[in-house]
Amino acid sequence: MAASTTRGKYAISSHSQEHAQEPGDPDERLVFLINEGKHLFPNEYYPLWETACSKLSHAGYGALIPLSYARHSPKLVKKLNSEAAINFAATVSLAAIKVNRAAAELLPKAAVIAANELKSTQAFTSWVTTIEELIYNAPESLLAVLERTQKIVSTLTPDQFRAWVLTGLRSTGDDALRQINYFSFTDPESEKWFRHEAGDVVFTDLDRRLKLYLLSLWSLRPPIRDLPASTSPLSLRRISISNGVVRVPEVFPGFHGEQAEKIFRAGLAHVGAHLVYSTKIFPLGELKPIQVALVSLLEDARVEYLAIQTFPGLRTLWQQFHVAKPSGPKLVPLLLSRLARALIDKEYKDKDGWVQKGRDMFFDPQNDMTDPAMCRSIGVLLGNDLGQLRAQFNAKTYVVEPAYRDDNMGLWDFGDQQGQEEDSDGIFIEAMRMDREEVEDDSSSEQEQDQKENDEDEQQYHARESTDSEQRESEVAVRYPEYDYLTGSERPNWTCVLEYFPDFGDAYKIERILEKHNNLVNRITNLIQTAKVSLPERLHRQSLGESLDLDACVNAVISRRMGDIPDPRIYSTTERKHRDLSVMVLLDISNSTNDKVQASGTSVLELEIQATSLLAYAMSELNDPFAISAFCSDGKEDVHYYRIKDFNSPYDTTARAHLAGLHGKLSTRMGAAMRHATEDLVAQRTHRRLLLVISDGEPSDIDVDDQQYLVEDARKVVRSISRLGIDTFCVGLDAGGDNYLHKIFGRKNVAVIDKLEHLPEKLPLLYLRLTA
Amino acid sequence: MGINLDDYLIKEEPYYSPTHNEIQLFEAAYANRMPMMLKGPTGCGKTRFVEYMAWKLKKPLITVSCHEDMTASDLVGRYLLDAEGTVWHDGPLTLAVRHGAICYLDEIVEARQDTSVVIHSLTDDRRILSLEKKNEVIKANKDFQIVISYNPGYQSVLKDLKESTKQRFGAIDFDYPKAEDEAKIIAHESGIDTKTAAKLVQISERSRNLKGHGLDEGASTRMLIYAAQLMSKGIPLEEACEVALVLPITDDLDIRNALSSAIEACA
Repeated sequence: MAASTTRGKYAISSHSQEHAQEPGDPDERLVFLINEGKHLFPNEYYPLWETACSKLSHAGYGALIPLSYARHSPKLVKKLNSEAAINFAATVSLAAIKVNRAAAELLPKAAVIAANELKSTQAFTSWVTTIEELIYNAPESLLAVLERTQKIVSTLTPDQFRAWVLTGLRSTGDDALRQINYFSFTDPESEKWFRHEAGDVVFTDLDRRLKLYLLSLWSLRPPIRDLPASTSPLSLRRISISNGVVRVPEVFPGFHGEQAEKIFRAGLAHVGAHLVYSTKIFPLGELKPIQVALVSLLEDARVEYLAIQTFPGLRTLWQQFHVAKPSGPKLVPLLLSRLARALIDKEYKDKDGWVQKGRDMFFDPQNDMTDPAMCRSIGVLLGNDLGQLRAQFNAKTYVVEPAYRDDNMGLWDFGDQQGQEEDSDGIFIEAMRMDREEVEDDSSSEQEQDQKENDEDEQQYHARESTDSEQRESEVAVRYPEYDYLTGSERPNWTCVLEYFPDFGDAYKIERILEKHNNLVNRITNLIQTAKVSLPERLHRQSLGESLDLDACVNAVISRRMGDIPDPRIYSTTERKHRDLSVMVLLDISNSTNDKVQASGTSVLELEIQATSLLAYAMSELNDPFAISAFCSDGKEDVHYYRIKDFNSPYDTTARAHLAGLHGKLSTRMGAAMRHATEDLVAQRTHRRLLLVISDGEPSDIDVDDQQYLVEDARKVVRSISRLGIDTFCVGLDAGGDNYLHKIFGRKNVAVIDKLEHLPEKLPLLYLRLTA
Repeated sequence: MGINLDDYLIKEEPYYSPTHNEIQLFEAAYANRMPMMLKGPTGCGKTRFVEYMAWKLKKPLITVSCHEDMTASDLVGRYLLDAEGTVWHDGPLTLAVRHGAICYLDEIVEARQDTSVVIHSLTDDRRILSLEKKNEVIKANKDFQIVISYNPGYQSVLKDLKESTKQRFGAIDFDYPKAEDEAKIIAHESGIDTKTAAKLVQISERSRNLKGHGLDEGASTRMLIYAAQLMSKGIPLEEACEVALVLPITDDLDIRNALSSAIEACA
């Protein structure tokens, strides 16, 4: 009996000898199997298949691979067709060469599983293409993927599978270890994207609307983050509040579609209730774990009760998830669920004495529902009762039910055992309505934690604390989607733009530029001044025009009747008289801008600063609203954004000093920066709004190999913002390299200059476009 | 010229529920024929207030809805041509000036600035209106007063009142009424009970919380009255709110979703 190789519950065992009547010797067995194949292949294809088997067996891959192929590929004939079966040999061969023997051996069996589920040859071919993509790009991970074929093909279509694989490749770069973590689902990101592709509702999809929901109900805007990666299984993950930061799991397993949206909503509403009503932290004291669980449960019920007084509809929202039945074994988790239901569901009847007692104590008219202390006193008593009944409580496996409720970590003062929960990653916390400081404990000195006997049980609570303690200098972090041209869709929340404080340079440098290029300055100012970009206005009393000015006509007739000479200016026309335009100048300050521009003798960055100085001067003289920002990037999680001047701040010495202080570094993740710059531009209420990008034209980043990817993303951004009514234009600085700018912005919207002197020539192009 | 302004008299008392002492303020202003500016978001009762005051003071009310294409002639008047010759036709402003009505210029910011300066001579001591084409200078009737409404929120910088215009007016701020008052108003205008009206007010507060986060304005009192009117004809609360409060003000799916869910929570 050949050894079976099982790897977890997804494994496919690969016995090489499956039927007793097969010959024991591998060579003979191969012959036997090839012979069996005769029955399954049509006559004209059989010799081709025979050849394929033979090639595999003579290629030096060992005996197991051709045996596996010979055994499984005939099954593909019936499910798909002969060609698919025969062509598949090439893929097996590829795997044997580029990956390893184990994967190549597993491949035919996985293919049969795939074919079974996918049913059409076209779908199967698509699946094979993705497998081959994995072979080339993540060979170490192929085995993990093959082992999970059933899960994958039964949940995702081939396109979705490909999208999931691409996401994995994009997010892990070339790192084989990270790839393996992704494709074996060890990395929780992988599960999240898997479900996202499957069309499951993940929190990212609902993020914005649920935040608006919280804002609408209670004017609350707490920071909301993903739960950090942890080793606890999906089913144990709960929403967690700590120090005012709310952490949400990406997905609630078992909840799909509309149900998923409901449970996320219920979860966030519950969070809102805590933020509003949980005014005190409970010190842990000498409480036993069961008592902690009970006090938490009662506090959950209490804040929900209060919230329901204001918003009765919340009862329906929460109650639907309480499904405990008033019967069954008296196990503690079940009793807790029954109690929880009894406290929210007025119609629920439960004969259990303990549940009834809890209910009566909670609803005792003497209670002050606004005081959390009542929960502690009731919880302690109920906990004692359970203790006396000798009911077992396993703190390690306990998880709060129903799933929408949070884990209540933030309610407790664990003393000096608080984990690194302070918001030291500097994420900007927008004004959370701070009528009360709900979780202000910051006694986070890190001492060892082994004084108490319930240590172990407390450990279990701490295990789920986050370790989110990166230090960043930035104050504002915003996530944006990014477009993948290979899947044709945007990945939500893929990039992170961080605003950094710009360096100070010498503001006089800008003055010197203006002095040196005085004539250019004048030309540009005049150019802009004459550009009329605004809503057309009606001008009356014109001597020429497309329509008659009624008033003037009447006057003219009156004059004639009176014997006077009529005024001939009786026409009206429309004309753009003003300039009603906001401009956001976005400067590329990536490392490539340190290159020299041949014709100028200065660096690209220098040329950018000069051009911006001239433009800024002109616009500020003419009182046109404008803003200046700069960007570079260090991977998708760190796109640097620098505000040089905002729309509503003056173009003063500080702004000029920031402009002068720019230096070139890092890479060019243009799309993300443009999305961020657009946010400010969108708020402007002028007739036209322009995003003016100044760049040397090579979008790239350290975590992206595919040169086309970021170009396509930038192009997508240009299209999206034009749908918002915002124009884009690019001033390209020719540093001699390949120019992608035409592709991103469109040929008409790019003006390439290699000398500052050319700027005034090219500007009219821009303004002309805007007035068309 | 005995033109009959009876058509412009408000015959029945319009329902108006005061929020502060605006009625007394306006009465005092009118006693001095002070030009008044009513400022506030749309749908919170400015026009209703003017109607009420006109009724209370028993003066005719001439309303002009201002727009961008309005010329001075539209306000003041123009010659019309007929078979015999030319005949002068008074504009609404001139009518009010001549015969002593309250002239209410609604949303005056919409008009171009060179049009709105026409009123300058009426808003200072002189109280005269000069009709150059007619060669006539009218001294305002002693009962004449000018009232304008102004919503500063939506306009761009280009479309604001000139400083010289603003300074000629006294102003009263209007805002959404307090919750209990708003509920009373809604109940009165639609016929639904006060409890449901209070619920609608609670719902409007949810939408007002989103102001500046995707919504320019939350639900106005007028919109709540619409919702209530729908309910009085048998439409259930959530649907009535969808139609009157959510769908008109936003197309953003996330905001619609958030508002609908917030309405469910209040129901």
